[in-house]
Amino acid sequence: MALKYIEEYRNGTLARALVKKIHFASKKKLRLMEVCGTHTMSIFRHGIRSVLPAGITLLSGPGCPVCVTAQKDIDAFVEFARLDNVIVTTFGDLIKVPGSSSTLGKEKAEGADVRIVYSVFDAINIARENKNKEVVFCAVGFETTIPTIAAGILMGIKEKLDNFSIYSANKLTPPALAALMETDGVKIDGFILPGHVSVITGTNAYRETFEKYNIPSVIAGFEPIDILHAVLLLIQQNEKEKPDLENAYPRAVSDAGNIKAKKIMNKVFKVCNASWRGIGEIPLSGMNLKKEYQKFDAAIKFGMDMPDAPEPKGCACGKILLGLKTPYECALYKKKCTPMTPVGPCMVSSEGSCAAFYRYS
Amino acid sequence: MTEEKILLDHGSGGKASHSMFSDLILPLFENPELSKQDDGAILNIEGTKLAFSTDSYVVDPIFFPGGNIGDLAVNGTINDISMCGAIPKFISVGLIIEEGLPVKDLKIILQTMAIAAKKAGVKIVTGDTKVVPKGKADKIFINTSGIGVIPPNINVSGSNAEPGDKIIISGTIADHGIAILSSREGLKFDSKIKTDSAPLNTMVQSIIQSGCDIHVLRDPTRGGLGTTLNEIALQSCVGIKIDEPSLPVRGAVQGTCELLGFDPLYIANEGKLIAFVPQKDAQKVLEIIQGDEFGRDAVIIGEVTEETSGKVFLQTKIGGVRIIDMLTGEQLPRIC
Repeated sequence: MALKYIEEYRNGTLARALVKKIHFASKKKLRLMEVCGTHTMSIFRHGIRSVLPAGITLLSGPGCPVCVTAQKDIDAFVEFARLDNVIVTTFGDLIKVPGSSSTLGKEKAEGADVRIVYSVFDAINIARENKNKEVVFCAVGFETTIPTIAAGILMGIKEKLDNFSIYSANKLTPPALAALMETDGVKIDGFILPGHVSVITGTNAYRETFEKYNIPSVIAGFEPIDILHAVLLLIQQNEKEKPDLENAYPRAVSDAGNIKAKKIMNKVFKVCNASWRGIGEIPLSGMNLKKEYQKFDAAIKFGMDMPDAPEPKGCACGKILLGLKTPYECALYKKKCTPMTPVGPCMVSSEGSCAAFYRYS
Repeated sequence: MTEEKILLDHGSGGKASHSMFSDLILPLFENPELSKQDDGAILNIEGTKLAFSTDSYVVDPIFFPGGNIGDLAVNGTINDISMCGAIPKFISVGLIIEEGLPVKDLKIILQTMAIAAKKAGVKIVTGDTKVVPKGKADKIFINTSGIGVIPPNINVSGSNAEPGDKIIISGTIADHGIAILSSREGLKFDSKIKTDSAPLNTMVQSIIQSGCDIHVLRDPTRGGLGTTLNEIALQSCVGIKIDEPSLPVRGAVQGTCELLGFDPLYIANEGKLIAFVPQKDAQKVLEIIQGDEFGRDAVIIGEVTEETSGKVFLQTKIGGVRIIDMLTGEQLPRIC
């Protein structure tokens, strides 16, 4: 029988057996953080919270790329859209995120040329077909996306595409985990580590953070069985007081990760400091183009340097990303801030915790 | 702040479309027929009950696996009329054509419209054509309106759902939206998913002639099954509980949705209906639907509950429970 890798990991009988084990193992009250937005979505979609013991709280972490994009970067995307002769290419979710004065979606309705793409290669196609225009790609992503953007840059060089550039707001996961652990008031008893990111980084990328903070950490896939399994492992580590770094997604994640992808990423990009929404600047947590690829840097090409901008008044996205607040504890949630009228990015992105809470609970 | 503008989201069939209808359109046109908010208006003209419906089609691309904008436009209005419990009779067609459209494309579209109308036994009796300068429309937009006759003693409406009703879907969900997506420029999948665009009038007539008690008929088009169920829960002031394992989704559709992060519950269908039927008649209606050429994969997917009025819940495969909300934000642009 061929494995489809979906139904097998949504099997009701297997899930019920895991849930039973979780209830049996769970004694302490625990706060577990799923770092990745795709986990957040999956937890809601499959109703995972509803089957867990009352003492287990799942928190959504800073793992939705749209949600952690700093206000000044959103402002830069909007500014690009306002320039004459520029086509802004973006992943869909970004289009609704409110900047300080507008959104890409509103600029589009005003006549700006903003196009939704599914990968950097779509943006490159648009650049090929519109040689008389400048095409700017809003590069927002983690280790999963950055290698493809790097491959896009190399393709741009090969084809001598001089009307294509990227604005890099790319981010790295392990430094964010460390920053989270250093933040006052943060109380997390374990990390459900991201599956896709770990396919690229490998388990070893988390070792330094794990050893420094000695926090239970489990890499998990995205199907309900994967997530329930990771929750069980985190409960067991906590109950036995034996923190460990475990890989519960071995069908996709290795210790070393995807060496080829990392190589191409490090060929084109260099590690830099980056601003995260709600967290602020985290040293060495971003990736920017290396000097030899700077002609593809839209910030340099267009002299785009937006000032730091305050996050919207009353918006608790920052605290929600740190696990310090739940969406219910935000004064704007479901009142001023809804998926129809989002104030903060966590309500915009389909992976954002506020949008997920709004949609599914 | 910029002035409020219409965004693509307003055309998604989800929450933004609903608020545009109830905040902007309904207050200005308010009348009992419109306020029912069914797929078509139900009119009583000198003792004869008629269903009257209109729909515009702006799908991009205009040709896609299994169909084109032409048969989609005819089937769509046939289905909207059928969902009122009516037998569709006459259809009008309005064409808005962009300068430069190849005549052979127009011919193919018109031919498929003629075939679709013939198959469903409806006549295209009036119409209009306009041509606009290049760039002022996208190839071709089509409006169809239609009239159907509602047999005596038939009372089908989204506001008739009752606790205990079983909910039947006539086949797999999300085929149309994914067929459009997979044929769209820039997203080329090697998938064999075709649109499910089909006329459902024969199926509806068989259901109605059976004498079974039918409370609600609805075709879950734009906004998908999830949005349609929410509309009915609100219209009927009831709760709805859906059983995830029973939801029919093709493997290739499921796979594409997983890959792109879409939920099949919010993807459009163009040849499916949902029927709300009291438990006593549910099995019989299910068998009638399964006996129709477009209903072979029909199944019961859930039931109406007294509790949690206005809300739709999903019992997930792993035994969890979650809410199904209306679609917020567009999942896919211009699918119909």
